[in-house]
Amino acid sequence: MPIHEKSLIRPEKLVEHEHLVIEGMDVSGHWSTFIEGRSLTDYNEAMQDEIAALPGGENIHRCWQCGSCTNACTVNAINPEFNPRYWIYLIRLGMEEELLRDKDIIWQCVSCNKCTYACPRDVVPEAVMKATAHWLELKGHTPKSPSMIFDEGFSDQVFHSGKIEDSLVLRNFFKATGQPLTQPWLVAMVTGLIKRFPVFYLIRLGLLTLFHPKTKRWGKARAAIHEYVEECETANRKALGLDAKGAE
Amino acid sequence: MTKPVLIIGGGPAGLSAAHALAISGRKAILVEKEDRLGGAPILQGYAKLVPSHEWARDAIGGMVNRVVSNPLVDVKLNSSVQKFDGEPGNFVATLKDGSTVEADTAILTTGFTHFDSINKPEWGFGTYPDVVTTVQVEQMISSGKGIRCPSDGRVPDRVAILLCVGSRDRQIGREWCSKICCTVSANIAMEIREMSPKTNVYIYYMDIRTFGLYEGEYYWGSQEEYKVKYVKARIAEVTSDGKRLLVKGEDTLVKRPISIPFDMVVHAIGMDPNVDNMTISSVFDVKLNKYGYIGKPSTYLHMAETSRPGVFVAGSATGPETIDDSIAQGTAAAMAALNFANMAVQAAAE
Ligand SMILES: Cc1cc2nc3c(=O)[nH]c(=O)nc-3n(C[C@H](O)[C@H](O)[C@H](O)COP(=O)(O)OP(=O)(O)OC[C@H]3O[C@@H](n4cnc5c(N)ncnc54)[C@H](O)[C@@H]3O)c2cc1C
Ligand code: SF4
Ligand code: SF4
Ligand code: SF4
Repeated sequence: MPIHEKSLIRPEKLVEHEHLVIEGMDVSGHWSTFIEGRSLTDYNEAMQDEIAALPGGENIHRCWQCGSCTNACTVNAINPEFNPRYWIYLIRLGMEEELLRDKDIIWQCVSCNKCTYACPRDVVPEAVMKATAHWLELKGHTPKSPSMIFDEGFSDQVFHSGKIEDSLVLRNFFKATGQPLTQPWLVAMVTGLIKRFPVFYLIRLGLLTLFHPKTKRWGKARAAIHEYVEECETANRKALGLDAKGAE
Repeated sequence: MTKPVLIIGGGPAGLSAAHALAISGRKAILVEKEDRLGGAPILQGYAKLVPSHEWARDAIGGMVNRVVSNPLVDVKLNSSVQKFDGEPGNFVATLKDGSTVEADTAILTTGFTHFDSINKPEWGFGTYPDVVTTVQVEQMISSGKGIRCPSDGRVPDRVAILLCVGSRDRQIGREWCSKICCTVSANIAMEIREMSPKTNVYIYYMDIRTFGLYEGEYYWGSQEEYKVKYVKARIAEVTSDGKRLLVKGEDTLVKRPISIPFDMVVHAIGMDPNVDNMTISSVFDVKLNKYGYIGKPSTYLHMAETSRPGVFVAGSATGPETIDDSIAQGTAAAMAALNFANMAVQAAAE
């Protein structure tokens, strides 16, 4: 039987001295192997408060660790390392270092909300995952996630013109994420559209791709939306102890 | 049939039995060994009670006044029963001062004894002044002085409450759950957070047993409204780094040893059998159950009976009980005593 405790040793906790002599004894290399402790020596109370202050994180302190969210989770079924229950716990007790080990998979939540419907305490884990991904970005631990880039492009367009032009959203997104426009699925979709759509619609679609009409008298609404969004973003950053505008 | 009913123990159960008998027109003699009535909530100075949020001195104090002002109840403080002879309907009890009283039946409402944390030395009580019990915290709250570390009077930044101290522990021969301490601890945690919002409270648990309707108000409420944190770990030891207390154990959910600094550690102490139970058992000739509480031979048919006919029992004398259940049992025991007397009258008439 394998020794279970071995799985608890993390490579970064294994320390070796390349050259070490103790009392005349050469214990260089693996002879001096030492495992650093894994004891938890403090809690960080600020972490839960920070995530709870971001939109979606409000209910995190309700969690009683039943695991229903992880059990229901679409992504967990594919990647067992994706564990909302566990991350919620780390956040609640402030185990930041531990959470950061998983920073590159937390954003993979597909927002299917299966967890939301399984959770007996209405924690809304899906929203907590979003808030956590947001926190990681704001703190500079992760680059902007593709879904964040997409959302931003989408909303920028709404703010600008009060309208959405799908092809522009897509083109901007691919550009921002450095992906080619000639995605096979996109090509297939466009050729399908051309084959099936009446000519009249095709002409309208084409015109809309070239000219981007605005909602009439949009200026006032735009200003109000801008102001509101700015307010929210400043509040978020403030909750995390960051300056108003951020590092970008 | 004019002999009174003898009640031993003036806590919530005894007070409720005395009141029930008196309003039914029966005389009662209430024997209490301390200098005051009220039982644990009064003698130990509890703060706000579960689940009513009333101050113990108001709620239980009201029960005391009701009994003391009833002419049918004869209260004997600083007293206890030394000898108990005779038959049902014809009992004679010898009290501490040598006097005797006659009684028709008797009700034991002698309650429980708080677990003494000294018996779990690894959890630091008696070694570090800032390790206290739930009873001490109740007293801090009810005295109005607020939550302060006994060592230097500072308001703690971080408090740990350790559950099941003196309960559910074969090492010290206590296999029972004390039933109320989870809820009482959640209640205390909320009170601490309310009095001092800067104080973070952590509860270390094996299971959370805020049974029945206490779940929502106390367990959920303490998490949702008061942000109390629950960590599943049975603490191994409480030590000190010279400045603060160190709480050591295993956080079972992350499979990691923990050694966390705290300003104050609270033991959620359990409800032991009354230390007098051996004496009570021999004086009244009633059997104790295997845990040392007063035994109840029948669960359903014969409410409040002990192994001795004509001697009844109620409240936490029978095992860990809440105040409201102790009160209900006190009334049930009074009912059983009344029935017993009526049956004796009928038997005599036939
Ligand atoms: C920290 C703590 C907090 C609690 N808070 C709550 C709460 O908020 N809500 C709740 O429902 N319950 C609470 N409880 C439980 C509560 O204390 C009991 O349910 C209640 O006290 C039981 O009442 P009782 O009358 O059976 O016994 P007791 O209250 O123990 O009363 C027994 C009485 O008998 C007397 N006595 C004992 N032996 C003798 C003898 N040999 N001769 C004469 N007299 C004797 C005692 O002096 C005492 O007055 C708490 C318990 C603890 C430990
Ligand atoms: S919303 Fe995210 S965390 Fe929840 S079940 Fe779906 S993938 Fe998992
Ligand atoms: S389902 Fe809800 S309560 Fe259960 S672990 Fe997940 S978030 Fe926590
Ligand atoms: S009520 Fe809770 S703290 Fe008390 S003994 Fe039972 S499980 Fe432990």
